[in-house]
Amino acid sequence: MSREKIAEARRTRKGPVCHGRGERARDGKMGACRVAAAGERDPVPMPERVFHTTRWSVVLAAQAGRRPELEELCRAYWWPLYAYARRAGASAEEAEDVVQGFFARLLEKDDLAAVAPEKGRFRAFLRVALKHHLANERDRARAAKRGGGRVRAASELGLDFAGADERLALEAGGTSDPERTFEVAWARELLRAAVEELGEEYRASGRGAVFEVLRGELAGGGGDQAAYAECLGLSPGAVKVAIHRLRARFQERVRARIAATVARDEDIEDELAALLAALSG
Amino acid sequence: MTPARYCTECGSALGADDLCPRCLLVVAAATPAPRAARTLPTSEELAALFPAFEVGELLGQGGMGLVYRARQRALERPVALKLLAREIAAEPGFAERFAREARVLASLAHPHIVQVFEFGQAGEWCWFAMELVEGASLRRLLAERTLDARQALAIVTQICEALQYAHDRGVVHRDIKPENVLVDRAGQVKILDFGLSKVSGAQPGDTLTRTHQVMGTPHYMAPEQWERPGEVDHRADLYALGVVFYELLTGELPLGRFEPPSKKVAIDVRLDEVVLRSLAKEPERRYQQASEIKTEVERVGATSPPAPARVVPAAPVPDRAPSAPVGAPRTRAQALAAGLQARRTHGPSTATREPFPLVLKLVLVLGCVATLATALFFLVFFR
Repeated sequence: MSREKIAEARRTRKGPVCHGRGERARDGKMGACRVAAAGERDPVPMPERVFHTTRWSVVLAAQAGRRPELEELCRAYWWPLYAYARRAGASAEEAEDVVQGFFARLLEKDDLAAVAPEKGRFRAFLRVALKHHLANERDRARAAKRGGGRVRAASELGLDFAGADERLALEAGGTSDPERTFEVAWARELLRAAVEELGEEYRASGRGAVFEVLRGELAGGGGDQAAYAECLGLSPGAVKVAIHRLRARFQERVRARIAATVARDEDIEDELAALLAALSG
Repeated sequence: MTPARYCTECGSALGADDLCPRCLLVVAAATPAPRAARTLPTSEELAALFPAFEVGELLGQGGMGLVYRARQRALERPVALKLLAREIAAEPGFAERFAREARVLASLAHPHIVQVFEFGQAGEWCWFAMELVEGASLRRLLAERTLDARQALAIVTQICEALQYAHDRGVVHRDIKPENVLVDRAGQVKILDFGLSKVSGAQPGDTLTRTHQVMGTPHYMAPEQWERPGEVDHRADLYALGVVFYELLTGELPLGRFEPPSKKVAIDVRLDEVVLRSLAKEPERRYQQASEIKTEVERVGATSPPAPARVVPAAPVPDRAPSAPVGAPRTRAQALAAGLQARRTHGPSTATREPFPLVLKLVLVLGCVATLATALFFLVFFR
């Protein structure tokens, strides 16, 4: 069943809907998911893992030795940068070049080591750095027109720009301001990645069906718990626990992702508030 | 282009995953989650905190805390050093409860229970030094599908012995599950974290309210642990054992309206009754003692026909059996070890419990013969 139908079913909320397949309950039965859940062999409790977050300040302070981590951080947040570049007037192709070039510079040049990120946030830092980079690029492009060479940045990070523009229109279409677009895109990307990671974690421990059925509960939910119970072959109490766990795990994931982009733990709450403001605006 | 979809709650555009980012963030920010980046103690900190131990690699970490491989300097013995999560230790009344319960745990000395050697508090950590078991958890063995019915029986009887021993001393495990049952290289079962849930002060229902998830998966919890957590006694362990037993035999959990094990795999039907009675909803209808389960399992094991195509001896042979044939494993543990070893040597999934492949082969052979006969018939009569 398609995502659209699942979404439609959730929106209308007529009777219990299986989030896993979007099938409406027939006579209180949800055969397919029940089979899927019963087929899962390893309903291990999620181990409470300690997240090894790499502080971006640490990354920048030791650029040479931390290249993989820096690459990872860049790869995780290319979309907001692309969104910014597009809203700042770059064509799709130019925006791709800008993002690739920006990362290449970030990874190779030493000038970023001079930045003092102790008080800052990775989000703000990247936005400002990109702004400068964009201005420099324009200067360079003008120079290129006058006869200078323009080097296209190597796509060594393997970023996949396919569908980036469509996503931009769908998810951040409400504003034309580059900075605001960046903030919205950043928050959306962070949450998308957290959900994706959580799904991978559940699948890896053999609880993929639990995740698929209950994932709607991550965004507030209010779904029919009796239907979930039927769908997963669990008792109502166990469904409550599973939802609670899923949310708690999601909170940890989101906070861990945020922790990697701020200087101190104390900043996590502020950053959460800032992201919420961006999405509420 | 796909049209944008919007959240019915807040009107935000939904993401490609059909989830509303704003509602996601509201959930993520709603309740204070446990500290996301709980820092591990550094090796210098560990050395300062535990001068009596040479602390080595981190073996595992979970809701309960951290476990390190360590060496006790004075006795030069390897130990597992378990550090309880700081959040648990920070709770009011924990220190007294810890000291009281830890003494009880340290007094448990049984070959199938991981021995607690020492305990104490160092800085903000409460710790146990325990017997270091080199082996695998039942969870891993279940995942590898390396166990057959006979090995399952050997494991269950050993768990029964450990439970009976502890129950006789008034200690209830309260969190029996495959993760807490280790099988060492000699095939000895060792139960981990005995009574630790009590030390941590966790009630099963607490899973809903506490940030650190102390209790395990709800699948192993007896109904009364949900409904009347205050009245839990040793029979909750017997229920959990029933779940483990069912899982060992069938590879699945007894969820909803589950079938008896013999309907799912080729095993002695008498085991159905043992498993189902252990899983009775009312504690009164279960076995009342672990030793009863052990007796039943041993009786079935002693009179079962030999398992097909397996190398493990037919019955768990008593430890003091002088007449055991040469080369045959003499104890259950040895039988288990031999079985595991044989299974590992032969690869994880070569042996099957059912004679299905044999039937398949017969059908194939008969089919080939019939085809050949028909071909010959046509050749001879229509040439």
